[in-house]
Amino acid sequence: MSIVRTANHRPAASAHRRRIDPVKAASFITLLITTFLMLLPLFFMVSTSLKSKKEMLKFPPTFLPESWAWSNYRDIFDTLQFGTLYKNSLIIAVLTVIGTLISSGLVAYGFARFRGRGNQFLFVLVLSTMMLPYPAIMIPQFVLFSHMNWIDTFLPLIVPAFFGSAYNIFLLRQFFTTLPEELFDAGRIDGCGELRMWWTIALPLSAPALATVAIFAFIYSWNDLLTPVLYLSSSEKFTLPVGMASLTSSRFRIPPWHLLMVASVLAMLPIVTLFALAQKQFVEGIVLTGIK
Amino acid sequence: MNNRNRKTTALLLAAGLTAMAALSGCSGGKSAGNVATGNNGAAGEGGSGEPVTITYYTIDSEDRTFVEKLIPDFEKEHPNIQVKVEKAPYEQFDSKLQTLIAGGKSPDVTSHYGYGGFAEYYNKDMLLDLTDLIKEDGFKAEDYHIPDNLMKIYTVKDRTYGIPVNMYVTLMLYNKDMFDAAKLSYPPSDYEDKSWTFDKMVEEAKKMTLVSDDIAKTQYGVDFTWAERDMRPLYFGAEPYSEDTWSNGGVPSETHFDSPEVIAAYQKLFDLIFKDKVSPTSEWSKSVAGQNGDPFVAGKIGMSIGGSWNLAGANDFPFKIGVAAVPWGGNDKVRSTLFVDPLMILKDSKHPKEAFEWIKYLVTTEVQEKSIELSGGNPPVNTEAAEAYYKHFEGIDPQDVKKVYEGAVKYGFESYNHLITNYSQINDMFINELQPVETGHKTLEEVMPVIQKKVTEIIKR
Repeated sequence: MSIVRTANHRPAASAHRRRIDPVKAASFITLLITTFLMLLPLFFMVSTSLKSKKEMLKFPPTFLPESWAWSNYRDIFDTLQFGTLYKNSLIIAVLTVIGTLISSGLVAYGFARFRGRGNQFLFVLVLSTMMLPYPAIMIPQFVLFSHMNWIDTFLPLIVPAFFGSAYNIFLLRQFFTTLPEELFDAGRIDGCGELRMWWTIALPLSAPALATVAIFAFIYSWNDLLTPVLYLSSSEKFTLPVGMASLTSSRFRIPPWHLLMVASVLAMLPIVTLFALAQKQFVEGIVLTGIK
Repeated sequence: MNNRNRKTTALLLAAGLTAMAALSGCSGGKSAGNVATGNNGAAGEGGSGEPVTITYYTIDSEDRTFVEKLIPDFEKEHPNIQVKVEKAPYEQFDSKLQTLIAGGKSPDVTSHYGYGGFAEYYNKDMLLDLTDLIKEDGFKAEDYHIPDNLMKIYTVKDRTYGIPVNMYVTLMLYNKDMFDAAKLSYPPSDYEDKSWTFDKMVEEAKKMTLVSDDIAKTQYGVDFTWAERDMRPLYFGAEPYSEDTWSNGGVPSETHFDSPEVIAAYQKLFDLIFKDKVSPTSEWSKSVAGQNGDPFVAGKIGMSIGGSWNLAGANDFPFKIGVAAVPWGGNDKVRSTLFVDPLMILKDSKHPKEAFEWIKYLVTTEVQEKSIELSGGNPPVNTEAAEAYYKHFEGIDPQDVKKVYEGAVKYGFESYNHLITNYSQINDMFINELQPVETGHKTLEEVMPVIQKKVTEIIKR
């Protein structure tokens, strides 16, 4: 805050001498150091992914690989069925995102736009599902899906997303309540039904919130280990985290860290891409809220 | 705005969602009890032609899933049995097993590959008593070259619950390069060599230890990680659990963690770090080898007492290694820990007879030999197949491995983690409570009475 103020209040006359603002410089250096520290683990991940098996065990560890083992990036496909794992994870994550956006978006819209008896109670009820940790519902849910013959299919991993999640409903509801009432009045005058208003007014204006929910849902599904472990039993249906966990699962062998880092680098790509796309939404969303 | 219809639609929507959530939360609580009870199903239908499928549950790692390659031959020999492999990562092994059993999808055969040991399975009543199956089948351990004392480990009150399949032991690995540099002769692999004692080991360790400000130059003589923490007093002859533990299924009637003998035993081990300064602190080990790593692998430790699984990576170590006997520490009966994995049939198995065929197949000499290569060095229990195991390690004399293994079986005691109930909780508690001693912030006299109290509580759970 203070940094911005100092910068703005500096008289324009001194600008032609291009003097360095000490406060600005200090903050710049601090940011630079923090960035460096934050990127260091990431750097080590990439660097380790390019080391040979022998070099990976070396102490003290080498900063850069002595010989660049690009072949690791091919070996991961021989060690794990990496392509299959990646494809499975993507299918599940994308469908989870779609399911979460539709279901949580609809329910949140209902809670934000309608007043009625029991409304508060139902909302609290929905939120209270957040207090149930997964291990508590793990077995009952398994019994349910096993009666539906869904074991060893993707369905138990995807279908629940189409039934809303309390956290995302809460998040979207808070956003929907801030949308100006006038927009909906205008829609109603033009003869819009509620679903149409949800689709053409509420959703387009909520891009930043939807982007947030999409990221949450994607990361949750992408990283989820326990659920796929419980429900999937054939190797060709496994997801990325399940495959990667198998690399460190032996108590009696030294884990192939270099290959695990290769897998991590590749597994990070969709999340980085998603962040880049979503960031645009945040900026545009702030600009385009419509009414001031 | 307050249109009644819309209000109802919204309420219905919300109600539907809540109902869904509630439904998924409450259904099937009764599950665990109503699954078909074992032992009846397959008994009569041996030759009826209809093939049955049995499930083998194991860890999803290369040294366990190799069994998939053994299935085709088994199915050829047993056309009426099909084997399916169900697997989970180490961390989730126990959760998935519990869920499968509760959900009525119990596997047929497994071992205690997760955190929980045999005693936990036994006390949760998850295991099928194999005694009658064994009698009916005419199974004899000696036909499969399984030593009698190993068969007894998983027998409780004369009932057998598991057939041993693999056996790791505690042994000493030493870094030949460090021994050569210090001009020391290599330690013996013969357990009958009386000169090889704990004190002699400390003496040699002193000659190899070099503590320097430069972390890359620092090296230590010995890293003594004999068994899990609660078992270590046994090495010096002190017994922390009462004798009945080993015959009643792992529920000790008494424990003695605050006795002077037990405290003195722990003191000897911590003296290696703080008094003799020949062993690394846990911080140093972690900084060199990572959270669960072994600093021996980094070439910074002269002698490492630990599980024989450390041998498996031997071909990748950037230095020469040898194997030696665990030195005598004051206990004439026990010098090594055994880690014997049994194959067990779960109580809810619908085809125990076929499951037992699969178990027998896995312990035959031919399959045990094949498994060594396929798994990348899993030690067999079958003593005939073990000859092949002794030759498996490049640059290590097979005779040494053989002597060390045979000595370990003679002077071995099964690891407590397989034999005591609620063990994962005991072990976690030990790690936490001993932490301040390992960092030098507390003394054993302060900590051991607390441990004694907590162990008693955990056992009663």
